[in-house]
Amino acid sequence: MSLLHATWLFPPEGAGGRLFLWADTWKVASPVEPALVAPDHPFALTPDELADWIDDNGYWTEALRPARATLTLPSRTQAARGRRSAAGSWSGLPLQAGEPIPKQLEWWPWQVEGWALDPAGAAEWLSSLPLASGHPEMGDDLRWWTHLQRWALSLIARGRWLPQIEADQGRWLPLLNREGDRHRLEELAMGIPQVATCALAAGLQGDPSLACRRPGSGRLRVASLLEALLDGQLRAGFGGDVEGLDPLLLAWQKGLGKGDGHLNLEAEDLERLTIATHHWREAVAGRVAPARTCLELFTPAEGEELWELRFGLQAEADPSLRVPAAVAWATGDHALQLGEVAVPQPSELLLEGLGRALTVFEPIERGLDSATPETMQLTPAEAFVLVRTAAAQLRDVGVGVVLPESLSGGLASRLGLAIKADLPERSRGFTLGESLTWEWEFMIGGVTLSLKDLERLRAKRSPLVQHKGVWIELRPSDERNAERFCATEPGLSLDDALRLTASEGDTFHRLPVHRFDPGPRLKGVLEQYHQQKAPDPLPAPPGFAGQLRPYQERGLGWLAFLHRFDQGACLADDMGLGKTIQLLAFLQHLKAEEELKRPVLLVAPTSVLTNWKREAAAFTPELTVREHYGPRRPSTEAALKKALKGVDLVLTSYGLLQRDSELLESTDWQGVVIDEAQAIKNPIAKQSMAARDLGRPLRSSKGGGSRFRIALTGTPVENRVSELWALMDFLNPRVLGDEPFFRQRYRLPIERYGDMASLRDLKARVGPFILRRLKTDRSIISDLPEKVELHEWVGLSPEQKTLYNRTVEQSLDAIARAPLGQKHGQVLALLTRLKQVCNHPALALGEDVQMATGNGAASAFVSRSAKLQRLEEILEEVIEAGDRALLFTQFAEWGHLLQAHLQHRWRQEVPFLYGNTSKGERQAMVDRFQEDPRGPQLFLLSLKAGGVGLNLTRASHVFHIDRWWNPAVENQATDRAYRIGQQKRVLVHKFITSGSVEERIDRMIKEKSKLAEDIVGSGEDWLGGLEVGQLRDLVALQEPE
Amino acid sequence: MTVSSAAITTQLGNEGLGQQPWWVQHWMELIHAYRFKKRLERAWEYARSGNVTSIRFEGRRVHARVQGSGEEPYKVKLWLDVLNDEDWGYVLDALTQKARWSAQLLAGVMPEDIERAFAASGKRLFPFKLQEVRSECTCPDKVNPCKHVSAVFYLMGDRFSEDPFVLFQLRGRTRAQLLADLAKRRQRAMARQVRQARDQPAEAAPVPHVHGAITDPSRWWRYDAALDPDLVVITPAMEGDTGLDQAGPLPLAEDARFPDANQRFLARVRSHGEAMAAQAMARAMDAPSRDGDAETS
Repeated sequence: MSLLHATWLFPPEGAGGRLFLWADTWKVASPVEPALVAPDHPFALTPDELADWIDDNGYWTEALRPARATLTLPSRTQAARGRRSAAGSWSGLPLQAGEPIPKQLEWWPWQVEGWALDPAGAAEWLSSLPLASGHPEMGDDLRWWTHLQRWALSLIARGRWLPQIEADQGRWLPLLNREGDRHRLEELAMGIPQVATCALAAGLQGDPSLACRRPGSGRLRVASLLEALLDGQLRAGFGGDVEGLDPLLLAWQKGLGKGDGHLNLEAEDLERLTIATHHWREAVAGRVAPARTCLELFTPAEGEELWELRFGLQAEADPSLRVPAAVAWATGDHALQLGEVAVPQPSELLLEGLGRALTVFEPIERGLDSATPETMQLTPAEAFVLVRTAAAQLRDVGVGVVLPESLSGGLASRLGLAIKADLPERSRGFTLGESLTWEWEFMIGGVTLSLKDLERLRAKRSPLVQHKGVWIELRPSDERNAERFCATEPGLSLDDALRLTASEGDTFHRLPVHRFDPGPRLKGVLEQYHQQKAPDPLPAPPGFAGQLRPYQERGLGWLAFLHRFDQGACLADDMGLGKTIQLLAFLQHLKAEEELKRPVLLVAPTSVLTNWKREAAAFTPELTVREHYGPRRPSTEAALKKALKGVDLVLTSYGLLQRDSELLESTDWQGVVIDEAQAIKNPIAKQSMAARDLGRPLRSSKGGGSRFRIALTGTPVENRVSELWALMDFLNPRVLGDEPFFRQRYRLPIERYGDMASLRDLKARVGPFILRRLKTDRSIISDLPEKVELHEWVGLSPEQKTLYNRTVEQSLDAIARAPLGQKHGQVLALLTRLKQVCNHPALALGEDVQMATGNGAASAFVSRSAKLQRLEEILEEVIEAGDRALLFTQFAEWGHLLQAHLQHRWRQEVPFLYGNTSKGERQAMVDRFQEDPRGPQLFLLSLKAGGVGLNLTRASHVFHIDRWWNPAVENQATDRAYRIGQQKRVLVHKFITSGSVEERIDRMIKEKSKLAEDIVGSGEDWLGGLEVGQLRDLVALQEPE
Repeated sequence: MTVSSAAITTQLGNEGLGQQPWWVQHWMELIHAYRFKKRLERAWEYARSGNVTSIRFEGRRVHARVQGSGEEPYKVKLWLDVLNDEDWGYVLDALTQKARWSAQLLAGVMPEDIERAFAASGKRLFPFKLQEVRSECTCPDKVNPCKHVSAVFYLMGDRFSEDPFVLFQLRGRTRAQLLADLAKRRQRAMARQVRQARDQPAEAAPVPHVHGAITDPSRWWRYDAALDPDLVVITPAMEGDTGLDQAGPLPLAEDARFPDANQRFLARVRSHGEAMAAQAMARAMDAPSRDGDAETS
């Protein structure tokens, strides 16, 4: 995959420039030794390739023009092949985004061809890109550019600009004096990916000399980029009517319209106009500097009347970095070091700011009578003006104001509540609506006060009053709010308590809650609920046939905890951490506690039903499990009721959930579990609605009908905003509100604009109900082995089953009649064919790749094989998580079929390495898989050709799609990934078709002790000696009872 | 037509005199104090009808061309007595005494009490009487100031509002020179203080700056910040809160032949700005959402 970048091409001098689009991709390239001019970037896409890419993605615009640039890029030192690098010369290759940073690093210029946009075109083009991250083939730098353009739009919308004359050209300049805009400039300057400005300023054709561009300190550079975008946009469409303008303004107006800004004026007139416009602007905004003047207000000392105002400087990048004026005065003509930034001419900066402050807050004049003032005093009235209005005005002209905390204007300085609450003494039930015992006080600026206090303070008729030693500002609305609150006499529920403690700044009856003190009993509940303290782990319940790892005990404790609160839970542990086991342990826990009184319904994709049955039989033998599946399933309410007698767990598929929805809804389930919960991500799909309906309490039920809801998924569900609603609507319907509300409040802001505040809020809301642990959390999951083997039990599709049985019958007959010499060969052929059937009918029938997987056949292709369905489900999680996987098969034809299908399914390249792959191609595939930062995530290999010698440590998943007799061969293949250099845990997925020859092979491998030597020693030779009866036992499909 | 102060102000756009910066008012008062009202009246006519075709500040002098009754425009020269270096020394000393003066000059504001600093040298910034403004005119009129010179006087007021520091220039120092001199003086005074204090720690040598992207080359590509929450929804300016509103009228002397040109220009810029703001908000609303994952079901 290639990665698109955008770099600004600064003109040789003056303002403006162009946005240069280019892309690099991973290729094999030999190290480059630059001669006199900058070499061509060996990994860059050609302009034609790039144009195709842009067009394919729908981002082509007619404004794009061919361009060439010299970019300074970090480069890997690498000796040219077959040559020892001579002293003084260098050879190497440019690095690409995401590549590991090598130790030997230098910066070199590289020439790149691409396409460029003028500022107006760039602004329009950037507006058409998505703001949130997500496009895998766009560099981070493009997102930075979209944020910059978003800011330019905001400045235009707010009219924060003035027409000016800069370097003898008419220009539209942004005004960055507002607090928010200054802050934003710092943020964007600090975060700028250097690639955005790494082009050598040069003529439009690029300067191929060997010079490099230094990384910029940002502020001024970013301001000039912003200016270019803003100027480009405002320039468009300005001009037209020239009537009534004198020659100066006429020239200026023309210079502000389309074109290069040139002003057709005599030098003197130009200078005059320039001075006048600068003077005009000076009244609004100062220059862009790393620091600003700040005024810090201090409350009067005990018994004093006057407030103190101290002067100082404050870093733009970090307003908490401040120095008093005395330091600025004493710095002389050196630069002042403020944190990481150097501030040149600090005393000038301080003075200019004070001059500006004087224009909006006159009392300062008194303080500026000496040569090097440091502080002054304010009367209470002046202090109030400063707090109430002047502070905001000062900030708007670019002067920082620091107020005492209790007056700083934030939420804390508003009238709010301090609450003490606890669960009632006798409470056991833990229901959300439960009322708490509680008391409250008003609180403002960090001190509590009663309504009486409030009245007394109001009577002082002063807006700034001292209470309990702290100065606070009382607003007329405060008393009204307080009285209203007292009049309502509200009650506080556990639900309220959970909400108020979930996030900062929540309000209760319109008053902000500044402090919330839970009593000991409530505290325990809250802590567990918010996961600040995980619920107590629960050991494996009696009757559970297996061991729980510590993190699984914590998972069990968590499920039991939410269950106690009647809250739905989503266990979203990473693949391989044992969600199935934790859920089974939970059910067994209920059983052991004698709480499991009615059946629990578990809905899962058809492909994993077998797996569930196997695992339940193995781990929870006490649970009576029944499948609601297949043509013989009960079809009436009565029949179902009868069938469910004494049953603890009912397994069914999503397909049947839909088809039998009425029947299933009529049953009084104790709980509903949905496995692979991403299946209900689409809120309006039928199976999602059916699942959600099933989660609701049964209306007609006598016993309350409440059902516990659990969802299992391995996908990072909390990151998929669009899918969260359906999931939460199943688990806990009220948490996210109805769908339209959810879309307006969360989905649009987050998906369209990447709004972090909304995302944080959303995560805080759903966080208590989702438990997700990652294999990589070594701190949490320290007891997981480095290599985890997972058996994936799968069934057979109807087509597979028919084909399997037919093959067995026909072949056994033939083998029985075959002469002894041919028998061996026929047995082998039968086994091979059966294994092929287990993989996919198309493989067994020798279907053409195009026909089987081509356009339109993809979904049919999947449904024909249960194994492929399961494989796809697991791969989806792998790809979603950004992991990489090796897929081994013993059948080259299956490899081709899978390759075609997987490439189509995920629209990414899936290399296939097998016997016919040439040596050069093999190396290229391996290099690309190991090195390319955006290389393929899936790598298909034949067991024979790919099983040995290769180093593929970038993969953290290994799939054995079909079984081989010899486990050593499988292990060798596994070791392509699980070897020195592997940084992650490796998950090994072994697919076994239950009841089939594959299961028999698996059993034999496990019981290696007896048969191992025979099998391993002689390959498949022993098979020839089997009796037909033995052979039948080996291959015949065992139907589940 | 009689010259009332109200009539004169119309030349400076439609603003009342009270809204002019104080130094412009000061200049106007200087003119009004002149005895020969009749001559002023004619000069005003001249100025208003656009007879003054150019005014240039060249170093310490003002050069102007005034179209009189003759074919060729008359050349007018105006200048003030320049302060010598010693005088400027006193002025600078005085200016350094009060931080406010430097502060205002740096912020582009002409301090109202600037004359007090000049008083230290026994000189003035503003001429006390119009007679202190030296002038020459190429017209045959023997009276000085002639009506051509007086016409230029009127227009000078406008030019002072374009750049108040032109007055410094006429007295021998540009604003930039003045600020540089002030900075130098301040530093010298600081250094003296530091020497006297002695207990000040030695100046730490500035740390050579190495950009973070050199030590962490992944910063060449990485950007993981989310969109600033304030940019999620793009809002228009509050009433009267745009840059244009705050900057106010353009301090550009108007050409009498093009009355209201400044206003016309600003109105045009403003309506363009409003159209662009509407367009920007529409564009921001249309932001494309993230490409959905390939739908699989």
